Amino acid sequence: MGTKTKRNLSIILNILSVFPLLFILAMFILHLALPDITFSKEERRYLAQWPPVFHIEGIIDGSYMTKVETYFSDQFPFRIFWVHIQKDSDQFL
Amino acid sequence: MVFSSLFFTFAFLPVTVILYYSSGGSFTTRTARPWVLGQHLRNIVLLAASLFFYAWGEPAYVILMCISIMINYCIGSFLDKDNTGRRKRKLWLIISLVFNFGCLAYFKYFGMLIGTITSVSGWNLNAAAPALPIGISFYTFQALSYVIDVYRGKIKSQKSPILFALYISMFPQLVAGPIVNYADIESQLADRRVTLRKFNEGLHRFLCGLAKKVLLANNIGLLWSQVKAMPSTEISVLMAWGGIMAFTLQIYFDFSGYSDMAIGLGKMFGFRFKENFKYPYISQSISEFWRRWHISLGSWFKEYVYIPLGGSRAGKWKLIRNLFIVWFLTGLWHGASWNFVIWGLYFGTLLLIEKLFLQNRMARWPKAFRYIYSLLFVMIGWVFFEFSNLTDALSFLRVMFGLGGTAFIDNQAIMKLKTCVILYIVCISAASPWPKKLALSFKRIHPNIYKLAANVYYCALMFFSTAYMVGSTYNPFIYFRF
Repeated sequence: MGTKTKRNLSIILNILSVFPLLFILAMFILHLALPDITFSKEERRYLAQWPPVFHIEGIIDGSYMTKVETYFSDQFPFRIFWVHIQKDSDQFL
Repeated sequence: MVFSSLFFTFAFLPVTVILYYSSGGSFTTRTARPWVLGQHLRNIVLLAASLFFYAWGEPAYVILMCISIMINYCIGSFLDKDNTGRRKRKLWLIISLVFNFGCLAYFKYFGMLIGTITSVSGWNLNAAAPALPIGISFYTFQALSYVIDVYRGKIKSQKSPILFALYISMFPQLVAGPIVNYADIESQLADRRVTLRKFNEGLHRFLCGLAKKVLLANNIGLLWSQVKAMPSTEISVLMAWGGIMAFTLQIYFDFSGYSDMAIGLGKMFGFRFKENFKYPYISQSISEFWRRWHISLGSWFKEYVYIPLGGSRAGKWKLIRNLFIVWFLTGLWHGASWNFVIWGLYFGTLLLIEKLFLQNRMARWPKAFRYIYSLLFVMIGWVFFEFSNLTDALSFLRVMFGLGGTAFIDNQAIMKLKTCVILYIVCISAASPWPKKLALSFKRIHPNIYKLAANVYYCALMFFSTAYMVGSTYNPFIYFRF
């Protein structure tokens, strides 16, 4: 193998090896950056919004945290794309 | 917050990683010694993240954990050999044992006790049982191992309250293990080395665990929950075996997936945790199974209960007594319900039979027979584990062995198993060490192609795990009125 192809391979490997980390960071940043969606046509329902300023009771019994998690998954970047990937691979399994 | 949720993977984790690595010390150099500010700051960040993680799921019980940390920290420093007399040390140990087991007894087993008393005696006890604090069994056992080891003089007590709090509450192993012995990570708490390569290895390990949980365990678990919901009079023999096989695979991928995620997350922050699972289903005896399944729990009970009781060296009767005590407790540890006790005693009995009668004979059995024997008894064990009611468990077992009066094969079983055949094949091969062995022998021949393929594989795991995590939150509203 030539030195050039070797160098190219190591560059590709380096990029690939940090890809999962970059992917996680990118999804996090996109989640913050993209505007929230109110209504999902595919699911025929209103999506969860960022929960309003809380009562202290909501934090103590944990219901506020559940709402934040629901918000996070309802507003996940490219949500419908991921759902389609899941449905398609489900048919294979 | 569970590891396999979108919020953990795509919000908590990136924020923690960014905060951790931006506070002090560079990524690749050794940020050594506790007095170096960098490492100190990072430990504080990790502790804060861990407390936030726990408080997110248990906003009230985080106080209980903090109290437990403080009390065990104080007792640990009282126990230090140099400055306390022998009798006083024993007293402190007893106080610690009473406190830790007391917490566990009240928060985990009080409800079970009331339920048992009510059903046996018929008294109506007006006592409300508290909700179970997540992870209490894991962090209490870690605290106990610390206190007992300081008492025995095996380790020095931790001077820094921050490092001790970090040891107890570290979020990777806080809610589902593995149970980390203090001696194993003592030096890593104050001084650990992280490189980008190790970080990536940790992330890859995390992804493997995540995929085990969301791709394999959750999907094969769907099949088992369908079988479990059927009345035992309608399950054919084949369906029962297919179902319990599905559960056998589900519980392995679920639990070992969590351990993989914990080990991987630990590695991302520079910790090395011991392995918790070593392909348990290729065991050739029940005792080998327990050396490969949830290793950290088995070694905890061995070190802090079995050996102090005299182990197997104190004669036959004591061996029998010790085994049953250990396995009664192991079963009870898994949950506050009598079926776990039965499950534990079932394994205690099997191990006793192996120890007393089979040990020498088993070596002469054909290998295939030993595999089948171990797996068969482990699968029967899972029936007791999974059904909280003994009657249900027994009637399911009756169906499995053709005594339930149901058909051997029916169309429903064929249909269900046919749709899952690929999933079964993937799961069974993933539960065996052979795919990994194959990959490693390929690595020796073509190291570069291997590296490329491995990296693509981890990217694919990330991609599909994300899809399945999002997919699980997809719930179309069917009766929507416009």
